Amino acid sequence: MIEMLETSLFALLTLGVLTGGLMILLARRPATHAMGFFIVLLCVAGLFALLHQSFLFFAQVLVSVGGVVIVTLIMILTVNLRETDLPPEPHKTRWLIGAAVVIAPLSLLLYRTLTTLGDAFPPVSDAFGGTRSLGTLLFHDGVLPLEILSVLLLTAMVGAIIIGKKEQSYDRES
Amino acid sequence: MNSSLPSLIVLLPFFGAGVMGFMYLFVPTGRDLRRFYVAVGIGAPLLAALLGLIVVGEMLTLPDSASIASPLYSWIAIGSFEIDVAFVVDQLSAVMLLVVTLIGSLIHIYAVGYMWDDQGFGKFFAYFNFFLGAMLLLILADNPILLFIGWELVGLASYLLIGFYHHDTANITAANKAFLLNRVGDFGFVSGLGLLFVLQNQSGFDFVAIFSGLGGIDATMLSLVGLLLFVGAMGKSAQIPLYVWLPDAMAGPTPVSALIHAATMVTAGVYMVARFSPLYNRIPDVGLFIAGIGAASALLAALFASWQNDIKKILAYSTMSQLGYMFIAVGLGEYSNGIFHLAAHAFFKALLFMGAGAVIIALHHEQDIFKMGGLGSRLPAVRRTMLVATLAITGIPIFAGFFSKDAILAYAFASGHTTIWAVGVVVAFLTAYYMFRLYFVVFVAPSQQSSQSSPLVPLPRSMVWPLFVLAAGSLFLGFWNLPEAYGGGTWFSHELHLADHEAHLRFAEEYVLDGFNVLVALLGIAMAYRKFVRPAHPLNPPVHRLAWQSALANTLYIDTLYDRLIVRPLRGLSDLQDRLIDPKIIDGSLRGLVALYRGVAAQSARLQNGNLRWYALTFLLAVSGISLYLLIAIGGAS
Amino acid sequence: MTVNPDAYFAVATLLFSLGILGVISRRNLLVIYLSIELMLNAVNLILATFSRLHPDEGGTMIALFMIGVIAAEASLFLAVIVQIYRKKHTLDSDAFTELAQGKKL
Repeated sequence: MIEMLETSLFALLTLGVLTGGLMILLARRPATHAMGFFIVLLCVAGLFALLHQSFLFFAQVLVSVGGVVIVTLIMILTVNLRETDLPPEPHKTRWLIGAAVVIAPLSLLLYRTLTTLGDAFPPVSDAFGGTRSLGTLLFHDGVLPLEILSVLLLTAMVGAIIIGKKEQSYDRES
Repeated sequence: MNSSLPSLIVLLPFFGAGVMGFMYLFVPTGRDLRRFYVAVGIGAPLLAALLGLIVVGEMLTLPDSASIASPLYSWIAIGSFEIDVAFVVDQLSAVMLLVVTLIGSLIHIYAVGYMWDDQGFGKFFAYFNFFLGAMLLLILADNPILLFIGWELVGLASYLLIGFYHHDTANITAANKAFLLNRVGDFGFVSGLGLLFVLQNQSGFDFVAIFSGLGGIDATMLSLVGLLLFVGAMGKSAQIPLYVWLPDAMAGPTPVSALIHAATMVTAGVYMVARFSPLYNRIPDVGLFIAGIGAASALLAALFASWQNDIKKILAYSTMSQLGYMFIAVGLGEYSNGIFHLAAHAFFKALLFMGAGAVIIALHHEQDIFKMGGLGSRLPAVRRTMLVATLAITGIPIFAGFFSKDAILAYAFASGHTTIWAVGVVVAFLTAYYMFRLYFVVFVAPSQQSSQSSPLVPLPRSMVWPLFVLAAGSLFLGFWNLPEAYGGGTWFSHELHLADHEAHLRFAEEYVLDGFNVLVALLGIAMAYRKFVRPAHPLNPPVHRLAWQSALANTLYIDTLYDRLIVRPLRGLSDLQDRLIDPKIIDGSLRGLVALYRGVAAQSARLQNGNLRWYALTFLLAVSGISLYLLIAIGGAS
Repeated sequence: MTVNPDAYFAVATLLFSLGILGVISRRNLLVIYLSIELMLNAVNLILATFSRLHPDEGGTMIALFMIGVIAAEASLFLAVIVQIYRKKHTLDSDAFTELAQGKKL
């Protein structure tokens, strides 16, 4: 019963991921893109949960879905794109098909390589992927990367603010 | 034995040339430096002649076949292999040294009078000394490399002097012609030297080393070397087929002609063959070929000379003819007779040219003999000396030419080359005819309208007394090599120590042969006398009615033939090169390449369109290719 | 456990390929940005799958870091898009060809 549930959940999430991805890839309007993006992130979060990564699931939901998607939406609203500002893409279909053909070997190779890694998930304890074990690990092995990441986030924030300012002084010079 | 004198002899004229050239170039033109030029220009050759006499005197005190070497410094030293800058006076070069310096000095003195009023007096003497120095370098060189340098410098000096009156384009053309034809010969010469160098494996390349190593060389290759060297002699000594520059070289001042024909340039070929006599002794077939070329040149030149009207061209062809005799001698292996004829010829040919120059000067640069006439009474000194020279070249007994020429003919007969002998006799007849034709028309025949009217230019003393010295030489030089048949001892030939072939005639045969030759010469003189002194009609420039006459007068159109055969095809080839190969093929291919690169570059530049998407696509194409390869590589796996 | 790892890998590969497709074939800067996000998420998914497969939480940790990096990247990328849009009033990536020689903005 549980297995049935898991399988159907997986199918649903996979469908969501692909739908969202295609929405981004094919749609023209920014709102649709944002919608697709939202769906993809949420479904990936669901897949994390299926993989017993409870902390990752929360992080994905909080940071990506709650942060990045919102920021993207804010950006779309800020820019307030008009229809005419969107690039004309007369050969979009042709490009898509061509690029797909080009990419096919890479994807195939990627898939082939990945599938050699293992056949079945081993059983794990309930604590796997939980806040406690992950926190212990972070404090054991990942302190420095974590701190670097925090500095990076701070820098990115400052940078985003500076870049995003209207009418910068160096613009006028050029 | 070593001595520094030979080096000094060679360097003196070069030094004089350098000093005079410097003065001519850097002293303001307003000053009259002619006395200085005379002092240096005559001083250098005279001093060289004096030193030459001292050296030869020294050499005579030495035992037989000794030589005086004068090494200056080592020029090329590669391991044990050495080429020195060294000069050597042995018997052969001693004779040449005396002839060149003595006659050269006389011509220098003569040239003072001849060139006195010329603008380029200093330049002329600088060139003249340079010419003499180059010839001395050629003669005294102790290895073929140095000889070749002299050989080339002689060519250069002759070029400068033939084109001395450079305001006239024809003279420049003549100088170029001489230079180019000499290059053709020199190419053969230097090829021969190179081949010889490759073939011999001695540690040195001087003459002694080369001749001692000849035995180890294949006879066929040696023949090739001999032939190639002779090609050089053909160019320098104006033999068939490279002779056409010689008549044109008359464009230069007359002293230049005298120097070229008597002392320096043209004798270089004969000297070279005599110098390489050990080599030519090993290849008698090539020697016979040389003799054949000599005989043919002698005959052809004598025929041409008989139909020329220009006094200097007659003499030019006669030089070629006499050089033919010399090549008959050296070709048949009678080297000392060839050298002896060279020496004798130097005297009387210098005299003839200087006499002709005197006549030309006296007549305001008139060169057509049929516009002269009757000058005998007005230029007695010139007439007398010219008569001596004419008799000498004709081969009348007691004059130098008789002994030298008859020795050659007698040897040709004795060694069994009767065809060559017969040609030689015919040439002797023609020589007598054309020389006396010249003499009679210029000095004896009734004077022509133009020459009588204008007064003669007085001749300076320096142009007259060298004539007498040379006349004395032409008279008495023959006794130096008096054959045994006349009670002599052929001292000259003995002194030379050259590897002559031996062929003896009985005295009676020799008397008969000589008598026959004299008879033939007298016949030629008589014919000339009948035609030009007692003519049936008033003497006029000959009108050539028959085809063969005009053909001969135009030297068988050989110049035209060369023009058609060689010059025009070459020019056509050059035109082809200029119009087709160079611009179309070579430049064209280069331009094509450039266009190709540009096209490719333009196409590639379109790839670099600044569009990141395209860059990503290219990048991805590569990644995709690699992936494809890896997929195939892991292949059947799953 | 019925869903085997290959299925997760297949989903991740598909997501990744969709991302590359978007980067190459679309001209909209926003789509390009989102496609990059898709690829990053695909990688994240692979990392999580590894982690579960082994089982070792190191992969989870890296995925966690990547979420942080994604956040940073997103903020900067979006700021840049805004700025670019202000300057040229278009989101066409083909309009930005300053890298090509001889062309001016």
